Amino acid sequence: MLYPVMLPLFGVTAAAGAAVGIRAWRAAGYSPRIGAVVGATAGLLGPLITMVPLRGCTFEPGRGPVDVALGVVAFGVGGAVAIGASAWVARTIARETGRVRTPAQQLSAGSFRAGIGTPLAFLAPTLAVLVLFLYWPMLETLRLSTRLVRLSAPNQPFVCLDNFTKLMAPTFSPLAAWLTIGFVVAAGIVAVLGRSDQDSALAVRVRGWLGGLALLAWTTAMFGANYRGVFVTTLILTAGTVIVGLIAGLAIAVLVSQPVKGQGAYRTFLIWPYAISPPIAGILFFVIFDPLAGIAGHLVETFTPFTLPSYRADGTLARSVVILASVWKTLGFNILFYVAGLQNVPTDVIEAGQIDGANTWQRFRHLVLPSLSPITFFLIVTNVTYAFFEVFGTITYLTAGGPSGATTDAMSALIRAGQVQGSFGDGAAQSLILFAMVLAVTFWQFRVTGRRVSYGS
Amino acid sequence: MRSLRALTVLMAVLALLLAACGSDSAEPEPGPGAATDGDDTAAGEGGELSVWIGFTDYRLDWMNERASEFEEAHPEYTVAVQGYDSYEALFQATQLAAEQGDPPAIVQYFEVATQEARDAVKPDGTPLFASVEAEVDGRDEILGEPVVLEDVVEAARNYYTIDGEFTSMPWNTSSTLLYANADLMEAGGVTEAPTTWEELEAACEQIRASDEAPENCITWPNHGWFFEQSVGQQGGLLANNDNGRDGRATEVTLDDPAMLEFAGWWAEQAEAGNYVYTGTQRDWEGTQNAFVAQQVPFILTSSGDATAVVEAGTEAGFGVEVARMPYNGEVTYDGNLIGGATLWLVNGLDEPVSEGALAFMQFVNNPENAADWHKTTGYIPITNASVDLLEEEGWFEENPYHRVATEQLDAASGSPASTGALLGAFVGVRDVMTQAMEDVLVSGADPQERFEQANEEAQAMLDEYNSLYVTE
Repeated sequence: MLYPVMLPLFGVTAAAGAAVGIRAWRAAGYSPRIGAVVGATAGLLGPLITMVPLRGCTFEPGRGPVDVALGVVAFGVGGAVAIGASAWVARTIARETGRVRTPAQQLSAGSFRAGIGTPLAFLAPTLAVLVLFLYWPMLETLRLSTRLVRLSAPNQPFVCLDNFTKLMAPTFSPLAAWLTIGFVVAAGIVAVLGRSDQDSALAVRVRGWLGGLALLAWTTAMFGANYRGVFVTTLILTAGTVIVGLIAGLAIAVLVSQPVKGQGAYRTFLIWPYAISPPIAGILFFVIFDPLAGIAGHLVETFTPFTLPSYRADGTLARSVVILASVWKTLGFNILFYVAGLQNVPTDVIEAGQIDGANTWQRFRHLVLPSLSPITFFLIVTNVTYAFFEVFGTITYLTAGGPSGATTDAMSALIRAGQVQGSFGDGAAQSLILFAMVLAVTFWQFRVTGRRVSYGS
Repeated sequence: MRSLRALTVLMAVLALLLAACGSDSAEPEPGPGAATDGDDTAAGEGGELSVWIGFTDYRLDWMNERASEFEEAHPEYTVAVQGYDSYEALFQATQLAAEQGDPPAIVQYFEVATQEARDAVKPDGTPLFASVEAEVDGRDEILGEPVVLEDVVEAARNYYTIDGEFTSMPWNTSSTLLYANADLMEAGGVTEAPTTWEELEAACEQIRASDEAPENCITWPNHGWFFEQSVGQQGGLLANNDNGRDGRATEVTLDDPAMLEFAGWWAEQAEAGNYVYTGTQRDWEGTQNAFVAQQVPFILTSSGDATAVVEAGTEAGFGVEVARMPYNGEVTYDGNLIGGATLWLVNGLDEPVSEGALAFMQFVNNPENAADWHKTTGYIPITNASVDLLEEEGWFEENPYHRVATEQLDAASGSPASTGALLGAFVGVRDVMTQAMEDVLVSGADPQERFEQANEEAQAMLDEYNSLYVTE
């Protein structure tokens, strides 16, 4: 359905498409006029990618502002995808026909010597697996997220974006506002100082942090009371798992890299927990910290005058125990990569530092740590995905999401919605939110971390 | 060095993909039982009967023994029993199997899934389950197994018959009971197990004041069943249309005065230190462990665990007294309702398989087996004939505590309140109740406010549910 509200939106995407098209096709050496036409067409047709499946329902008369806002986002995403694709086509055509030849393009993308048939044949098995197990379920999830789905029900009615909007209740967040003001101020300082000197490097860093935190705070404020807790819990558990896990992993890796007797045995023992599945880690820590019969409580009572409070009644403690369990579980993996990384730190650089008078800490901070940055980058990605997708196994057996939802992360929440409460549409919608979170984190990691990663030369 | 960068990025992407794939495996697998549906009927008039039940302990063993006996008596059939961790897991597994067109022949559904089981359809739009009573069709025996459906005791009959018809075959039926540590009671000078809330509080005060007394007094799992029991005791309703028994329920009332009374009293007991929360919802095991470890003198749990709890207590060196579930003494007692599950017959099976499944259901509940099941577990003897058999054997005189559950159920008035609610999306509604109670117990939420909010959530679920099934 086409509603009048959508017309100006089409105008905006068409204009944006034309603007992008002109630039892209001009850069590719073609007439900007073609670019404008192609780009505008993409801008007009692109939103249909999302609007046709949704039947434009978010713009129906009588829909609330949240629906309309989500609809605008979906509209924009469709447009952006099509416009991006058209620009990419322009570049590809230019390269294939030899109009533009930059060394970077030659390095990053190859071309097929004997047509596309043979390579496709070789890729077919992989593609088949990807389509069957990744892309098709992904499309199914998209479809389910717009429907009211219960198993064993006679039909699956279309419910527009209700599965999403019921999670949302935007509220004004003073914290987010302050962070935004801070971000703007920092950005202003950066603009005034320019990018060169020491002060502005600090300002750039502050700007980055404030911007990121403001974005998180605004996102948190978008969600309704129920899902807000889930979102915050996910952030806390993920941050805890990644930060504590990486620091502990690096510290232990440095220790086991020292020349000691029986090094091999130590390392093997340290890596063992990685072979344990997340639910088993949950059960182990459940037994250790059990408020009634756990060994941790027993030890504390025996050796100190204190008693260990029950983690099943205190949200902060429960989160700490979950973080502890998941850090313990991933530690072996982190150690493994850091040990390998430490072996590759060039000794001549360290020796040069030593001769220049750098003490142990300075050598570690300014020489070892930067040369480990590719490993750290990789470990951040793997640990974040672990925290998002795997920790729920530990949570299920350790706290079952409690007390009072304090350890219900995004994954636990969507499983609860889909399985316990039987609403697959809600589960699908929540899994798409999680997907968006993963995309955002990955994007941030590749941009920010990637920029600071040193690969040697 | 560029290749190293590419490699790192590749590894990161791979890790993302693997994690995404890995997360899919979190969905419950239909289990090995799914492969053994009863299509293979080429050989003779028999076939394979796959039976899914929600037990993995000694109760699964019991069912396996019955399966072997049934196979001996009817060599043309093989019976494959598949156990699941919980009713909830079994419920989900069945729905997924049905969605994939591969359900077993017999499924054990818990009582709150009754409405959903009656409504459930297969992907082709036909009902997922066939009515057991309609399939029995007035016969006295099926494949030589006497039909016992007519003989099912009143309490189970009241709960499960709608429009006077059994849609499923009752099997394990229980009620909530109070189990008391007789030694701790004696140490505290309490002579009789408390029967009302007031008496329970007094007993707790007395026991906790004694020397060597445990820190807390009572526990029970934060499970939807206990809300239903208490609301029933107080004569409250959980849903409109007489708890959904006089037409489909369209409104839930989780903010019913009886519910608020119970939640408030529960919170008070927790506040006073009488009640101890294990910190996890649906924690049957943790609560029983606390009782067996003598950390609490009292526990509320299912009569289906009577044998196990009494044995565990005796092994741990203390006597266990079994009493009815304490009720609110300030209002008229209306009645406790049943808990447990029934066996559902999947619709559209081949004739021999369907007949075999019906016969197996009757066999499992024949007087000898029903009596044995009762002795093994503590679930009530499900037919009058099995009660008679146990009386003859002198079982109840030897084990008077095994009479309590039946007596408690018989004391119910039979009103819609004491019969229990019949409700769509009830499994999810239960989850909403326990979540609300956890917030009250752990975060100190106000019971009234929190349950009003829970009621809204539950209403939204029920509205969604009904919108799928009520078509006009």
